Amino acid sequence: MSIVKTLVPARDTRALLIKWIVGLLVPLVVFTFVWSGEAIINNALLGAFGLGGVSDIAGLIQIALFLVIFYGTVIALAGYLVAADSGLRGMFGVWIDIAVFALVPILLVQGLGLILGLAVCATFWLLYFFVRRLVFKALKYTPPRPLLHVQALDSEQRVAVKNRGIMGSLWFSIALAVIWLVVDLIFYFSGALPTALLIWAVVRTLLLPVAGYFLGRLAGIIALRRTVAAKSNGDSGNPSKGDVSPIQQRQLEKLSTTRVREEARDLVPNDLPLRSTGAQRFFLILLVAFVLFYPVIDPLLFGYGTAGRLAGYGDAGYYVILALGLNIVVGFAGLLDLGYVAFFAIGAYTWGIIGSTQLTNVLNIAAINPHLLSALFWPMIIVSALVAALFGVLLGAPTLRLRGDYLAIVTLGFGEIVPIVFLEMDKYTNGTNGIVGVNSPSLPGVNWSIVTPVPYYYLILALIAFSIFVNVRLRDSRLGRAWIAIREDEIAAASSGVNLVATKLFAFGTGAFFSGIAGAYHSAKLGGVSPDSFSFGDSVIYLAMVVIGGIGSIPGVIVGALLVYALNEFLLAQLDSLAADPTNIMFGVRNAIVHFVPGFTFGNIRNLIFGFVLVLIMIFRPEGLIPSARRRREFRQVEEEGVEVGALDIVPGAPGFEEEVHVE
Amino acid sequence: MALFLQILVIGLTTGAIYALIALGYTMVYGIIELINFAHGDIFMIGTFVCVSIFAAFGITSTSQAPTGFALVGVLLITLLGAMVICAVLGVVIERFAYRPLRNAPRLAPLITAIGVSLILENVGELWKGIGFVTFPQIFPQIFYHIGPITITSINILVIAVALVLMVCLQLFVTRTRTGRAMRAVAQDREAAALMGVNVNRIIAITFFIGASLAGAAGLIYGLQFGSTIFYLGFTLGLFAFTAAVLGGIGNLVGAMLGGVLIGVIEALSTLICDSTQPGCPIGLPHGGAAWHEAVIFVVLILILVFRPSGLLGQQTPEKV
Repeated sequence: MSIVKTLVPARDTRALLIKWIVGLLVPLVVFTFVWSGEAIINNALLGAFGLGGVSDIAGLIQIALFLVIFYGTVIALAGYLVAADSGLRGMFGVWIDIAVFALVPILLVQGLGLILGLAVCATFWLLYFFVRRLVFKALKYTPPRPLLHVQALDSEQRVAVKNRGIMGSLWFSIALAVIWLVVDLIFYFSGALPTALLIWAVVRTLLLPVAGYFLGRLAGIIALRRTVAAKSNGDSGNPSKGDVSPIQQRQLEKLSTTRVREEARDLVPNDLPLRSTGAQRFFLILLVAFVLFYPVIDPLLFGYGTAGRLAGYGDAGYYVILALGLNIVVGFAGLLDLGYVAFFAIGAYTWGIIGSTQLTNVLNIAAINPHLLSALFWPMIIVSALVAALFGVLLGAPTLRLRGDYLAIVTLGFGEIVPIVFLEMDKYTNGTNGIVGVNSPSLPGVNWSIVTPVPYYYLILALIAFSIFVNVRLRDSRLGRAWIAIREDEIAAASSGVNLVATKLFAFGTGAFFSGIAGAYHSAKLGGVSPDSFSFGDSVIYLAMVVIGGIGSIPGVIVGALLVYALNEFLLAQLDSLAADPTNIMFGVRNAIVHFVPGFTFGNIRNLIFGFVLVLIMIFRPEGLIPSARRRREFRQVEEEGVEVGALDIVPGAPGFEEEVHVE
Repeated sequence: MALFLQILVIGLTTGAIYALIALGYTMVYGIIELINFAHGDIFMIGTFVCVSIFAAFGITSTSQAPTGFALVGVLLITLLGAMVICAVLGVVIERFAYRPLRNAPRLAPLITAIGVSLILENVGELWKGIGFVTFPQIFPQIFYHIGPITITSINILVIAVALVLMVCLQLFVTRTRTGRAMRAVAQDREAAALMGVNVNRIIAITFFIGASLAGAAGLIYGLQFGSTIFYLGFTLGLFAFTAAVLGGIGNLVGAMLGGVLIGVIEALSTLICDSTQPGCPIGLPHGGAAWHEAVIFVVLILILVFRPSGLLGQQTPEKV
């Protein structure tokens, strides 16, 4: 019975199984039982059976989808990790890694709320990295590299990989099912669980292993796609389904040793599969599912206050789009723009003037039907973006011949002039009072106004997804490479045939395009626009987002935007409200500081903290928190190993390669 | 015509203050090619230091102003105090924020400078609060009428102090060994090091001098305008930087000239009439006074586009 044979693990895989199953089970169990994973499910089911809990169909379907995706992905991840691991690294290293990077965030976010929890978590990680470096130095221990050698697998080993995947998922799901059943039985016998849910528990215990088997096959296939097939004798290397594609193989042959090591992070078997690109795809699926279904699961995870949180995230969203836009100008093209807020203002005022009663003032006509104006939002987003892009080109044109510092100052000047123009041109922009009563967009069947955060949340998600997609395509296009060429060395780029004028103007225009989108969204969400909200301080904040996150790196600036937004809007206000409570330690801390500095509140020192963060980041980590691959190579040229990195590197396929990079 | 001359006087006064601050910008840029965004905020800290020193002497905006020798003594001590404290501040900033980034790509020191500017502004806000801080007007205000125009004694004091300091600086830079070393480092840092110049010390001295001039500018600004606020450094710093660029960055005489020119242009911009009022052929809504910042920025942009080397600077082609 070959099925039974494949189900029972061989001795060497047993260690792997224990390592990963225990490692992944702990955070999952914590999430399910200690936090609210169980509560989500139970609420949904109670609702489905009409016994209370969540009761509307749309919500139920969303919760069900989220749970299927969540648990399915974690089970498949278990299978992938078991399949992809080369078994070289011990259990405890992996367990400590998972504890620090998965368990701690879950516990902190559960206890302190999303923003504060993530902030404390980030501080904890900083401390952890620092302490770990000290400990390693004291013990003279260097952790293993992700890949010590590129392993080419023959067909027998490839079948073993696939089997490992199946067994990983299968045994993980069996373990999960058993634990869950035991806990549910305990709850049932102590009276906390209704009978209907006990039936569900039994059904689930049978379903999970079956799901685990099939998810394991999927995980095995995913792992197989990342293996390098060994060339058997006389075989011309016909690529079969589980191979690295021939294009990838040719690319691997052309790269230097350093790049092979980088690309090899993706290959199976791997020494640090948690950090491999394959595992990162799973994390990405989890993140997308979490973000997509957030409005429905938030009340179950965090309790009351969903609307306020969603409104906050809607505001954080436009910061992300601004950071992505500025990333094009500063990160890709290297044009330091200190006046980015001007384009944001232009986008905001475009929708502000057209989408409100101000339009009737400007055009000197009678009133316009507000419903018509609301429906106009969708084409107007594009129009605002294009208007902002046009001004980006216009304001960028004078700067074409300037070098870095002067360019910064001129853009700063524009960043100051534009809000002054908006302030003083009363007839069109209503001057200091700003424009109020800007309409929200309208969609048939959706109740949308400035007090409903959920449609705005999904709108900003869609806009962010669009922005990320456009940015990634731009970065990998000819234009993107032209930008990077200009950033590195203008004269060399011009000598290589890059049209400096067109490329720079495109950079300004595209960057302004995104800020136009963000501006239109912002004025719609806020319901108004006023000239005081656009100042140099905001430009500095946008620049800080890009710089702290990682100049030129798309995931970096997204993280940077969220971090800076959290610091700006949430954290210090949270600390202040904590300090107002006499039972909190923050109260004592604040009083001690007020002794020396009267007038101190946590909100007051926002710019101080910002300034220090900027200075420290520039001195100690100029490439940012999540650097782009290019920057990481730029700033940290020296590899820790003894292998010399240079232009005359031996490439895979050349005769000396086997000695330098051990290929089995 | 009388109005025009009167505005000229106002412009000269403010221009003198801008010139002093611009000297700091231009010296730092000449020597390490960095736009020191924090310089304007050092000027603002200088004004706060003066207010504090006055308060230590028991002089506030409501108390009796000293006269005669006491007045001269207080002014001298405040001037020295502001200059020394600002100078030390400038050197500390250079040592901890700019020196680690001496060889970094251009973006890094610029962003660090912005960070330091934020820190200084917040320190100012925590120190003296978010509102306007009144500056004790202890210098007796005597009006002199020369023909159609009126000059006050404070105007004369401002222009005199600025002139004296600028002349001292010019003498220092052209006639002393350290001044020569500064010019050498500005011209070619490595060659100067090969010639035995202690580059780190010279750069520190440059920051010292530039910041002390900003401190002096703080005192005379306060005496002239009577109030200061924590975000003063930002706008005034930008105007002073415009002045430095107008005159030719790296050029001391250029900075002085540029400062005066920018002061005059700013004063002249108040002449632009209000286009929303009748009887104004060409104007701007709400009159030129509301647009004076924009006018100066437009001047900056025009200079940088059409003559980036400034009025007195040399055109240096970019070498590969």
